[in-house]
Amino acid sequence: MNSISTQRSFQPDSQFQPVDLTKAGAPAVRFNNIKKTYTMDRVEVDALADVSGSIARQETTFITGPSGSGKSTLLNIMGLIDQPTSGELFILDEDVSRLSDKAAADFRSEHIGFIFQSFNLIPVLTVGENVEFPLLRRVKSASERREKAEQYLDSVGLADLIDRRPGEISGGQRQRVAIARALVTEPTLIIADEPTANLDSKTSLEIIALLDHMKSEFDTSVVICTHDTSLITAGSATINIIDGHTA
Amino acid sequence: MIWKIAFRNLTKNARRSVTTAMAIGIGGFAALLFGGFVTSIWFGVQTSMIQEQGNLQIYRQGYLEFGAANPDDYTIQGWDEVAALLASDPVLNQQLAVITPRIDLAGVAGNAQTGNSKTFIGSGVVPSQIDEMHKWDGWSIGQVSPASGLTDQVLDGVVIGIGMARMMGMCGPLNVADCQDRPVDEDALTEVETDFTSLVNDEAEITDLREGSVERPQLNLMAATSSGVPNIARVGIEAARPQAIRAIDNAYVMMHFEQARGLLYGDSQEATTLMLQVANPDQVDATKDRIQEVLDRAGLDLKVFHFTEVDPTFNRIFGMFTFMFIVVSIVLSIVIVFTIVNTVSMNVMERVKEIGTIRALGFRKGFVRALFLTESALIGLFGALIALSAAVVIANIVNSAGVQWTPPSNATPLTVQLMVLDNPLFAASVVGLLILISVVASVMPTFKAARLNIVESLQRA
Ligand SMILES: Nc1ncnc2c1ncn2[C@@H]1O[C@H](COP(=O)(O)OP(=O)(O)OP(=O)(O)O)[C@@H](O)[C@H]1O
Ligand SMILES: [Mg+2]
Repeated sequence: MNSISTQRSFQPDSQFQPVDLTKAGAPAVRFNNIKKTYTMDRVEVDALADVSGSIARQETTFITGPSGSGKSTLLNIMGLIDQPTSGELFILDEDVSRLSDKAAADFRSEHIGFIFQSFNLIPVLTVGENVEFPLLRRVKSASERREKAEQYLDSVGLADLIDRRPGEISGGQRQRVAIARALVTEPTLIIADEPTANLDSKTSLEIIALLDHMKSEFDTSVVICTHDTSLITAGSATINIIDGHTA
Repeated sequence: MIWKIAFRNLTKNARRSVTTAMAIGIGGFAALLFGGFVTSIWFGVQTSMIQEQGNLQIYRQGYLEFGAANPDDYTIQGWDEVAALLASDPVLNQQLAVITPRIDLAGVAGNAQTGNSKTFIGSGVVPSQIDEMHKWDGWSIGQVSPASGLTDQVLDGVVIGIGMARMMGMCGPLNVADCQDRPVDEDALTEVETDFTSLVNDEAEITDLREGSVERPQLNLMAATSSGVPNIARVGIEAARPQAIRAIDNAYVMMHFEQARGLLYGDSQEATTLMLQVANPDQVDATKDRIQEVLDRAGLDLKVFHFTEVDPTFNRIFGMFTFMFIVVSIVLSIVIVFTIVNTVSMNVMERVKEIGTIRALGFRKGFVRALFLTESALIGLFGALIALSAAVVIANIVNSAGVQWTPPSNATPLTVQLMVLDNPLFAASVVGLLILISVVASVMPTFKAARLNIVESLQRA
């Protein structure tokens, strides 16, 4: 079993005893012996061989590693859009390793925000509607949804673009909209897989800084996967994955 | 928001959406027009038949089963009292517009001038009441049948079928268009015919039937009475009118009720049937029940029938067109289903990444299904609107063009009236069905979309 190497000296509770969530420092996510195996042409390939670790609350954690090492696979499992072949996953101390499709969707809606490499805004919706969109499941009142969308768009500095379509704004602006969309449900965990890969370096730094800022402002944990080590914010936790193992 | 997304995606793929809506629209249009035609048959053919024979008919028990073999044993005795009984009922009095007797008869007809003779079948009716029946328009479709051509005053007038006129060699004298007389060949007259003609001539001299209408071509009718003794009448032909069925057209003689009664029953008030016309077609069933009740209470051995029970022609015509309508509708539906499946599959394929995103954002499969089904419902709705508006426009053009057609039940043509909106329930059903087909056809591609693997969907470009 691999141990986690983090730049900060945070020790996960290796006994996996129930954690008091109100206790400062209790991790948002714990994952233990996660294994993900793909079968291709009858050959089993381990995308993740055996990874364990945790994500601290209100922190930004970077996941790094070479291409094909299993970063995305780990993020997808943490984001409950993929299931591990074996291993355990706890989010807010709830065992979410084997959720049904519906339960996983409900959990994502409640606790997880996604930021994608290519922004993934819904093209036919305006910027404001895109931010409103995740609230459809949770907030019945349209005016309340609208209000929240405005508030979060404002927090990413795009309040005046609210009625534009995604096609009418820049890449950096689109990713800011995506950040507002991820934040609007006030999730426990924000998952960002290569959020800056489609952006120039200046904008990339701005986006990472914005995400890093949001973690404390909105009480959320941010997990960013990148292979651009220059983006790693000083003082952040890092999980380095090499060849399906935490290194 | 779901409607917003659906609508905007449709307008985004405007050409595809329009093509699909057009396919639905054309299919729906065809169904609406054909249905409009079937509707017009329903109203038009029934109206024709009700104008001819009333909505309801009273017969002696057993007539429909055995009467044809022995009509005299199954007549309504004292039909006038039965008619009076019905008319005196306060409820029926409100509902029944016409109560009129009819005698069905058969015999031999001969013409003294041409020496032709042949069998005839016919009926005796009360001309004024028949003409009154011809005006029935209970569904307000503006369809009237021409007057019978007989009058109450001229007791010896008859109207014959065109075929009858031809065979009797009377097309010329009657001025019937498109009708050629059988060539008269004096030598070819058979003995029977000669005998019959002379017999009639003798008889006619004795009974000296109504003179004064000498101008009209004459016909001698001989019918067997209940006592078996042939009775003969000389009548004047008022007109020749086509009859719906060729065999009947070739033998048809319509005469005054009193003439027929005199031929068959002498002074006794007998009739084959009482035809009843109900003013309001919605009241027919209730009226029928009421009539039977009144008849039963009076201890009469009579039974009331709906005209379709007596004559299945309407049900057959309507059944045939309904069957055709169903077949055409099924074919159209299949075409629509394939178009929709294709369109939805393309929409899904183009938006796999969006589907993955929506699922990652915490929406269940049901939301994805609802999203695409909403789009399909909208396309169906647009298609239905296209269908409805096109059908209304074209139906108006066809209706005002006054196209004529002759249903199998009719002797004279009806004007085609495509009733698209006249039957709102039908039009609404077609619209509803188009939307339903659109939604149901989308179920399979939509469910596939919802089942997409989230991670793989997100990896799409
Ligand atoms: N659906 C799949 N089927 C088979 N193998 C897969 C599948 N998805 C990922 N893999 C394999 O699993 C391994 C880890 O993939 P993953 O996408 O997690 O890597 P990554 O670290 O995110 O790489 P990158 O930096 O290029 O995004 C790779 O070897 C990849 O080929
Ligand atoms: Mg990756």
